[in-house]
Amino acid sequence: MRCSVNKKENPMSGDIPKILLIGNPNVGKSVVFSKLTGHAVIASNYTGTTVSYSSGKVKLHEKQALLTDVPGIYSLEADSNAEEVALNLLNAGADAIICVLDATNLERNLNFALQLKELRIPLVFALNMMDVAEQKGIHISASALQKELGCPVIPTIAVRNIGLAELVRQAFACMEQSDSIESSSLPSSEERWKEVGRITALVQRLEHRHSTIWERLGDSMIMPFPGVFIALLVLIVSLGVIAGGGRVLRAVILLPVINDIYAPFVSGIVSALLSEGMVRNILIGDYGILIKAIEWPFALILPYVLLFYIVLSFLEDTGYLPRLGVLGDGIMRRLGVQGSDLIPLMLGYGCAIPAILGTRTATTFKQRLIVSALIALAVPCISQTGAFIALLGDRSVPVLILVYLISLSVIFLGGLILKRLIPGQSSTILIEVPNLLMPNANAIFEKIWIRIKHFLIEAGIPMLIGIAVASLVAETGLLVNFSLLLEPIVVNWLGLPAEASLSLILGIIRRELAVLPLLEMDLSTVQLLIGSIVSLFYIPCLAVLGILIKEFGIKIAAAISVSTVIFALFFAGLLNQAINLILLLL
Amino acid sequence: MSLYKTKKATNCIIESVPAQKILEAMGIRKGVNVRVLVRQPFGGPIVIRIGQRDIAISYEYAKQITVKEVV
Repeated sequence: MRCSVNKKENPMSGDIPKILLIGNPNVGKSVVFSKLTGHAVIASNYTGTTVSYSSGKVKLHEKQALLTDVPGIYSLEADSNAEEVALNLLNAGADAIICVLDATNLERNLNFALQLKELRIPLVFALNMMDVAEQKGIHISASALQKELGCPVIPTIAVRNIGLAELVRQAFACMEQSDSIESSSLPSSEERWKEVGRITALVQRLEHRHSTIWERLGDSMIMPFPGVFIALLVLIVSLGVIAGGGRVLRAVILLPVINDIYAPFVSGIVSALLSEGMVRNILIGDYGILIKAIEWPFALILPYVLLFYIVLSFLEDTGYLPRLGVLGDGIMRRLGVQGSDLIPLMLGYGCAIPAILGTRTATTFKQRLIVSALIALAVPCISQTGAFIALLGDRSVPVLILVYLISLSVIFLGGLILKRLIPGQSSTILIEVPNLLMPNANAIFEKIWIRIKHFLIEAGIPMLIGIAVASLVAETGLLVNFSLLLEPIVVNWLGLPAEASLSLILGIIRRELAVLPLLEMDLSTVQLLIGSIVSLFYIPCLAVLGILIKEFGIKIAAAISVSTVIFALFFAGLLNQAINLILLLL
Repeated sequence: MSLYKTKKATNCIIESVPAQKILEAMGIRKGVNVRVLVRQPFGGPIVIRIGQRDIAISYEYAKQITVKEVV
């Protein structure tokens, strides 16, 4: 699934004015962008959700402008991937800037605002999250701030669409008066902070409030105690919703509909029209396209995808994930990465593509590479998880659990090894803990919809191709030839039936396609385990290969792919031989 | 005294910060009030409160920042 973060439009399109949407990380730029342009981009409650820029058109009456959502940056000086992207966009020239300020953190945001003023580009400020600020007892006078900054300041609550219409009006208005900008001298950073202090004292009033239940809950989530227990609880509830809920959807609703209504109906029609033979088998046989193209994606995979993204989107928007990063940092740093890298790793349990794009927030190349390699090797995406549950859930739950324990161990050991293998430095954690918020229902709903849409488009087509390939090679007899070729590996080394070579072929296309063909074979418990382990570590799907090439170049992408295949076959085979030896001795 | 060694919940003022732009840009700078909220075990970070904001900061950064207790 391709995440929308890499959606780009040509910023050069036409001669319409360009507006940049800029601000510190996690102040709500992407929410403002989505609301103003109608373009769907993923926004979350943590730093660095936007790793590349998206552009879209905003309109005011007949006028229009191209709005660009710039990754969040802390300053115009410091160096990071995000800042590079932002500075390049600024250097490319803009007709206006909308700077989003976080009302709950005025001082630091103002320091950035003053730096922007020095650029002398027409500037409008959105003073965002006014509702959260009020709850915290932070009162800011937007009009006083406007006087101090000399630019329009619009109070906004972006998630609820409050103040955004006025923001657009002001942005268009300020472009027209672009020649009347006061020049400001360049102050030193110390002078700038002094100015920040002066303005803050003038415009902001803090009222002492007892901390709200959300603040207390947010604080306790990052304490070792009870934080670890809260983390376990969150994990158990999440797994329960995804695995339990998925099972209900699949077993109670989707499978009966497909097996009892759809399949007999389609088989009936095809059987009536076609006599027994290859074409009929291709359509409705063991890997019949007409049956599997509905059963596999919709009944076996989609329920888990839907539930995973409901849980993930909720956790993202509450601001819980960075807290988990803070708790897990002690372990993560042993793997050569840091707590905030836990977020892309967790995204990987949904889909490796947004996860690997998400590693752009990692501060060093070494960390990016470690996280991406681990995701490609040992983190099963949600489609594959759905397939594992379909394969093992009914036959052997212990094997299902064992597969995930092996996956976790390999992630851990892999990190330990890659930390030593990959040259370069790892940086240590320095992240902002966002406010813990009750997610906005509309925002969550939109986000889930974006992700499901992407899944249907990006995963649906390769799955159809995979199923068509499966059906064709199985029914034309090509599979027998492949199986003969791969027999030494598949049968002798892995101990699987010869036709399991189909998994190795389809697994290149998509991860779950390495698992699903096993459903149609009558496997022993050991074979179930070995088959699952091969597909777990086997080459990530074609789309992931594409993103690895794009992000790291062909050499590293090839190295990752080849080593995953070798590791998958070697490790699973070794496990098979060891189990057989033990069974023999018993 | 190093920020990393500060007792939890003690109000301090930052005396010196290593010359790293990112620290300053995040608002961690000389003369600012700071308080350690949480200390993570196993070499994990400390979480400090600056203004209305919480920041998780590793041992490596925190040991280079010196603070003075506010009495």
